[in-house]
Amino acid sequence: MDLQHIRQDFPLLRDNKIVYFDSACQSLRSQSVIDKIVEYYTDYPACGGRSMHKLAARVTEEVDAARATIAKFLNAKKKEEIIFTRNTTEGINLIANSLGFKSGDIVVTSDKEHNSNLIPWQVLAEKLGIKHLIVKSLPDNTFDLAAFETLLKKNKVKLVSIVQTSNLDGVTNPIEQIINVAHQHQALVSIDAAQSAPHEKIDVQKLDADFVVFSGHKMLGPSGTGILYGKQKLLDNLQPFLVGGDTVASSTYTEHEFLPVPEKFEAGLQDYAGIIGLAEAVRYLQKVGLEKIAQQEEELNEYLTTELLKLPKVKILGPEDAKQRGGIVSFYVEKVDVHQIALMLSEQGIMVRSGQHCVHSWFNAHQLKGSVRVSFYFYNTKEEVDRFVRELKKIMNVLL
Amino acid sequence: MFCFIALIVFAILGIFSASHRALAKEAFQCVFRRVTLRACNTGFKEKMQAKILGKLINRSSRVAKFVSHRFELLAWIFFILSIVSTVWVAKGVYDFYVYGNCNGLNSTGFCAFDPKGNNSAVSTISTRPCSLKPPTESDLTLKNVNVSLFPTKNTQAKNKVVLIGCYLCDYTRKAYPLIKKFVTENNVQYTFAHYPTKSASSYLTAYVDCAYQQNKDKFWEWNDKMFASSKEDLFKPEYVQSLLGKEGYDVGKIKACVNSQATKTLVNKQIDQLVGTGVYGTPTLFINGKAFVGPKPYRVYQFGLKPFLFF
Ligand SMILES: Cc1ncc(COP(=O)(O)O)c(C=O)c1O
Repeated sequence: MDLQHIRQDFPLLRDNKIVYFDSACQSLRSQSVIDKIVEYYTDYPACGGRSMHKLAARVTEEVDAARATIAKFLNAKKKEEIIFTRNTTEGINLIANSLGFKSGDIVVTSDKEHNSNLIPWQVLAEKLGIKHLIVKSLPDNTFDLAAFETLLKKNKVKLVSIVQTSNLDGVTNPIEQIINVAHQHQALVSIDAAQSAPHEKIDVQKLDADFVVFSGHKMLGPSGTGILYGKQKLLDNLQPFLVGGDTVASSTYTEHEFLPVPEKFEAGLQDYAGIIGLAEAVRYLQKVGLEKIAQQEEELNEYLTTELLKLPKVKILGPEDAKQRGGIVSFYVEKVDVHQIALMLSEQGIMVRSGQHCVHSWFNAHQLKGSVRVSFYFYNTKEEVDRFVRELKKIMNVLL
Repeated sequence: MFCFIALIVFAILGIFSASHRALAKEAFQCVFRRVTLRACNTGFKEKMQAKILGKLINRSSRVAKFVSHRFELLAWIFFILSIVSTVWVAKGVYDFYVYGNCNGLNSTGFCAFDPKGNNSAVSTISTRPCSLKPPTESDLTLKNVNVSLFPTKNTQAKNKVVLIGCYLCDYTRKAYPLIKKFVTENNVQYTFAHYPTKSASSYLTAYVDCAYQQNKDKFWEWNDKMFASSKEDLFKPEYVQSLLGKEGYDVGKIKACVNSQATKTLVNKQIDQLVGTGVYGTPTLFINGKAFVGPKPYRVYQFGLKPFLFF
């Protein structure tokens, strides 16, 4: 991977002034993605699907092509299985509101879910009386497959909604086995791939995933773009979530006829620039190669982990072994406020996230205030890690 | 506690800068615990601390560490200093408003609102006998002055105003229109004491006394015209005499009066009394005994009549 060349594609990285270690929140965008968005707004800023004119036809074409690009990226059978959303959260909410849950239905999650994959189930439990069961992680914060199996044996689970790679500590759950076990027990599986889709190949057919949701903005795509993949036969049977313009073929004053998927789920005017930009982002990732991306992140993680383990007061969340934590290093320093570390790093031009990363439930259960999270992407370098470690040591010396 | 300190400090700084206003708002929210309700919002204290330490660390780790470990104490010190300096600034603004100088009445110290010191500039008196100690404001007094020796009008009025100035002095000339307005618009007893700052204008005191003695009513008009005349003219006795003539004075009698022994004695007595006031520059305006040195803004003279504003 030609890192120097790649970094030139990202405007913010060109002068090496800023170290961006917050890609798990949002990645940076390549110039090609930015250009693609600008191209929409300058050359054909029209409605897709609705109008007949040339510009509208171009929008329809580009959105269609974008859908096909994403379908290929996930190895979906058909492009109609791809639904554009605003983000992962919207995808999960769509499933929660459309799968026809009723009182007593059981949903299983892990104990490390982002609020996006926790609150919708808590709300359904309150509103409809569904049951939300949680699989507790092993002491090293990895997934407890045995406990999961036991839980599925004992309960008639309707849906397993589970994170693939945790944004908390970077640990990737054994998703293939999880799906296998779930399917053995006739449970559907929805994968929160917000932190995995940007970094590793997801083959929905090979995995036999029922639903996969992720956000475009964590994988070079524009902000507020997301994807919901669903098997066509499941999507066909889902009730629509948001309804209105573009979701129906026709209506009378009392009745309506919904369009087939994907339109039935894409209500109102869509973020065309975002969708087209997201497809460009996917093309960029494919060009670099997801394997190379994962490899680069793993190397950086190993390097940083080794350095951090030399500092006695630093505690890393999750397993010590960097290989199990993808591109994320989440840590805290005893007796030091995590926000203060992040803010001071920011003063030195290093962007990391601090706090509970919207996984409050886990932090509260473990009585921890939060962590500093370094999240890499393929455009980060070893030199940046060196700079980070240098500054962190200085900060610790000042604060401790 | 830090939030509270920050709120006050930034509120004060916010008067002058928008960025501090934003910080004051944040500190306000911090004080009222609003910040903690927003999940992704960090503590205000940590934020400020990190900002300060983040800057310091680039200069000296040692200093940063020192500040980090005594942050709360330093915040308190900073807070107290801010309050003290704010009180000083407020006093300066008050002093400027009421006295025309941020450092107090008649001070000649630098004042940002009057950077050239126009409100305190005087023509220094070179005819004054030498003294070992330079004169100060607190030495100024009318104790030894008998106002009946000087031209005085409206003697029934409760408030007493005495102007010590001279026709040829730049700053008396500058202040005169305002002082005239002041004594006309307010019901005050007004005394004019001519105190020549340079020997070239010494001869004029006798004319003042003689003109006043000859006709008290015409005197004030002639006096106004004297202040309105050019300095070159005022150096010439003929000019002064012609001005008296135009006012209807008997110039011959005036001339005789000016040269009389009685007038010389009176002038000497007057000068003795004026030296006794401690006046070191003109114009000096006494309003009910309080001295205003230099050409003050009009409002300052007005405030002079409201003693409760003076402390
Ligand atoms: C694992 C995981 N799930 C869900 C989300 C929510 O993503 P979004 O805010 O894009 O909906 C995130 C975002 O950080 C995440 O990391």
